Amino acid sequence: MQRATTLIMQQVLRQRMQCLVSNSRLPVATFTHHHQQQQHRYTATSTVTSKQATPPPRHDWNRAVSEAERIVGYPTSFLSLRWLLSDEIANVALHLRKLVGSAHPLMKTAKHLLYNGKNTMQAWGLIVLLVSKAGGHAANIPDVEQDKSAGVLHSQRALAEVTEMIRISHLVHNSVVNLQSGTQAGQDGTTFDDMSFGNKIGLLTGDYLLGHSSAELANLRNQEVVELISSAVRDFSESEFIGERDEQNNPLPFKPGTFQRPSLAVGVDFNEHDVLTPMPIGQVMGNPEQEWECRNILNAGSLLGKSCQASLKLAQQSEEMQRHAYRFGKHLALAWQACLDAEIFQTPTLPLDAQFSLVSAPVLFHLEHDPSMYALLEKGKQTVEHIDYHKIHKIVIAGPALAKTKELQCKHTAAALTVLQHFPATDARQALENIILAMQDL
Amino acid sequence: MACLSTSYRVACGTRRQQVHKFIGRLLMDNNSMERQLSSLRTVAHLTSPLQGYRVTTVQSSINKHTQLTQWTNGLHRLSFNAGQEYVNSMHNSHTCSHNRNHSSVHTQQPAGPVREIQIDPYIILDDELKYFYDDVRDLLQSGTSQPELDTIACYYFDGQGKALRPMVTMLMAKALNYHLNNESHQLVHKQRQIALFSEMVHSASLVHDDVIDQSDFRRGKPSVNALWNHKKVTMAGDYILSIASIMISRLRSDDVTIVLSQILTDLVQGEFMQLGSRETENERFAHYLTKTYRKTASLIANALKATAVIAQAEDNVAEVAFQYGRNIGLAFQLVDDMLDFVSSTEQMGKPTAADLKLGLATAPVLFACEKYPELNPMVMRRFSEPGDVERAFELVHKSHGLEQTRFLAKKHCNEAIRLAQELTESPYQKGLQVVADLVINRIK
Repeated sequence: MQRATTLIMQQVLRQRMQCLVSNSRLPVATFTHHHQQQQHRYTATSTVTSKQATPPPRHDWNRAVSEAERIVGYPTSFLSLRWLLSDEIANVALHLRKLVGSAHPLMKTAKHLLYNGKNTMQAWGLIVLLVSKAGGHAANIPDVEQDKSAGVLHSQRALAEVTEMIRISHLVHNSVVNLQSGTQAGQDGTTFDDMSFGNKIGLLTGDYLLGHSSAELANLRNQEVVELISSAVRDFSESEFIGERDEQNNPLPFKPGTFQRPSLAVGVDFNEHDVLTPMPIGQVMGNPEQEWECRNILNAGSLLGKSCQASLKLAQQSEEMQRHAYRFGKHLALAWQACLDAEIFQTPTLPLDAQFSLVSAPVLFHLEHDPSMYALLEKGKQTVEHIDYHKIHKIVIAGPALAKTKELQCKHTAAALTVLQHFPATDARQALENIILAMQDL
Repeated sequence: MACLSTSYRVACGTRRQQVHKFIGRLLMDNNSMERQLSSLRTVAHLTSPLQGYRVTTVQSSINKHTQLTQWTNGLHRLSFNAGQEYVNSMHNSHTCSHNRNHSSVHTQQPAGPVREIQIDPYIILDDELKYFYDDVRDLLQSGTSQPELDTIACYYFDGQGKALRPMVTMLMAKALNYHLNNESHQLVHKQRQIALFSEMVHSASLVHDDVIDQSDFRRGKPSVNALWNHKKVTMAGDYILSIASIMISRLRSDDVTIVLSQILTDLVQGEFMQLGSRETENERFAHYLTKTYRKTASLIANALKATAVIAQAEDNVAEVAFQYGRNIGLAFQLVDDMLDFVSSTEQMGKPTAADLKLGLATAPVLFACEKYPELNPMVMRRFSEPGDVERAFELVHKSHGLEQTRFLAKKHCNEAIRLAQELTESPYQKGLQVVADLVINRIK
């Protein structure tokens, strides 16, 4: 029965999306989950856009993911979400059509979410479910609360959904354009109305997702979980305030030498005993690796880690297991981010019109190696569009930063795999390992 | 497949809409006052999800006098430790006047507020409200290490607002506590957190509204979107919401969290309703009232209900709190929509006819449509053509739209007063009735 409903839902979604896509003048690829040849790569934090095909990986990512999905009975990525079938989202789809052809970043975000390319790591809900299954649940949880065939609790499935909703809401809210009167976007009269309308739709869609995720969370009837996940929302918003920003709020690195602090022995993390306490990020500013970690914990690791932790809370597992789950999610998210950050610097020349985040690991590492590069980045203070990305790309790949980034990725991959050893050996744990290994080889 | 979701919408929307349509028609037909009064009662019954409550209110409308006797008896049966309680919580003048008038209350018809006792809700709640905004700011500050986020998030908690939501929430909380004979400090503290939540959610929605509406001023000062990066402003709204949720989760009450999360879904659905104007003339008023409930009244209604839930009140008491808040919220918004046509810019802190300029048709316009059908096409095109706003403004003033809006608001206030009278008599319960008067008589 549940399977049938899922299939129906997917069909509806496909129809809606095709209807949206066929109305657009964007390059249309066939909508398929196993679309191999023409890959688009996108990330939340580092806006990397590469149009090149990737060489076939040694560990097959698609296989790792689809096997994992089979294990927890989770229909392909985030597409199972009930919220996509609501009136409000149908409304948004209608309004989005008006924006097709405009330059509003919301269209880009929508496209990224719809094209379920293998590199988008939309599978956060999947990770949460795999961790749920790998962690198991307390013996006293009644049968009615379990999804026996998948080996997870219904509440954990709902939590996985909430995780994706919150993540998408952040992406959508992040595509709001700054239209303040002093900015370029705010002065451009010809596109102002489009931009303003796009902002409205983006803001409301994000709020819709946020509102519904808190309703879903409330229904889990576990206040510790509500507290934890709410703090992940806080971390997301805080992450957009760190460091210097251009007028569209794109992050810029600090001027080398701004901070004179000794590097800490271990990176900072949240206060385990009080989720309201924010990450003490000031302590690590200026240290490339630890600053990068902090930014990306707030931006990604927090939600994934806290969701994994919350999922074991729902299963009434020990505090210690919950801690392991948090650390697993955090390290996985960081390894993944390092992988994405490295990717664009692995090609000898930067594809046309491609950009990368100026606080991505390779840039920060290179800045440490050669502070003089800051002169090039400084030009982006008003808008990052003024930056010569090709030149920076060239400089960075000639230096040691890429190797350091790969090291960083390995460090977090190893940490994630080590934490995983605390979980009993099950098919779910194996699936998580496969996903990590496939990611390593991308 | 698309019809799947459409039919769902119809199924869940119809009942309330029909009810609202019914009341809308009644009012527009200009029926006699009495009939409208009874229709409003019917609405209260129909929309009440609780069977038990329905029975009591039906009774009350059928036989007011029997009910009055019951109340009086109920009051006498309760041990009335009035003197001590009032000295603790009220200023002396209030104590005296209240005690003096105590007996006369029961012989009066419950139709209107007891005007000879002038209770100022803000004064009797001084303890709870004095450091209210300081506490919100402290809370927001404790959740972030980023000074700019803190500044934006705290911007509207400057103490210049009316603090209507926290005031009504605390008033209801204290009235309920008196009614339930449980006035422990811990309980009041928890209820105060709910009041904090209501104001924080309200502010978060203002912050996001500012980005959507692109208005330059609010409450007589530059709005957040004029001062800061819109992306950061958006994030600050999310931040306020997340901190408010953390605070509520710490009450460790599943039911309170569920009741309060309803506010968030309602708010967004209300915003979405405001986007479209495709509904026909007949549906329009129902659409407007539902939107008003979701955008404004739900917040007050559910916050009040939450104060009852945390006090472990029976369902029927929680429902009184909810319905009181719902009626006050609707009246508040109706008056707000009316003031948009009559207040000056200085009084409101924002430009007049702001709603028209945003393309929104509020109650005064919808009432005016009855007399001037030429308004209909303007409503449909959201006053987008040159001269539309001015023309609509003029026609609203020429029609009885403003009086009719006020009349409808008055109905809701009277219903709120009637509901407040179902609670045990106390200064706070009286305060709830005074609030209804404040809402209808406010000028800004």
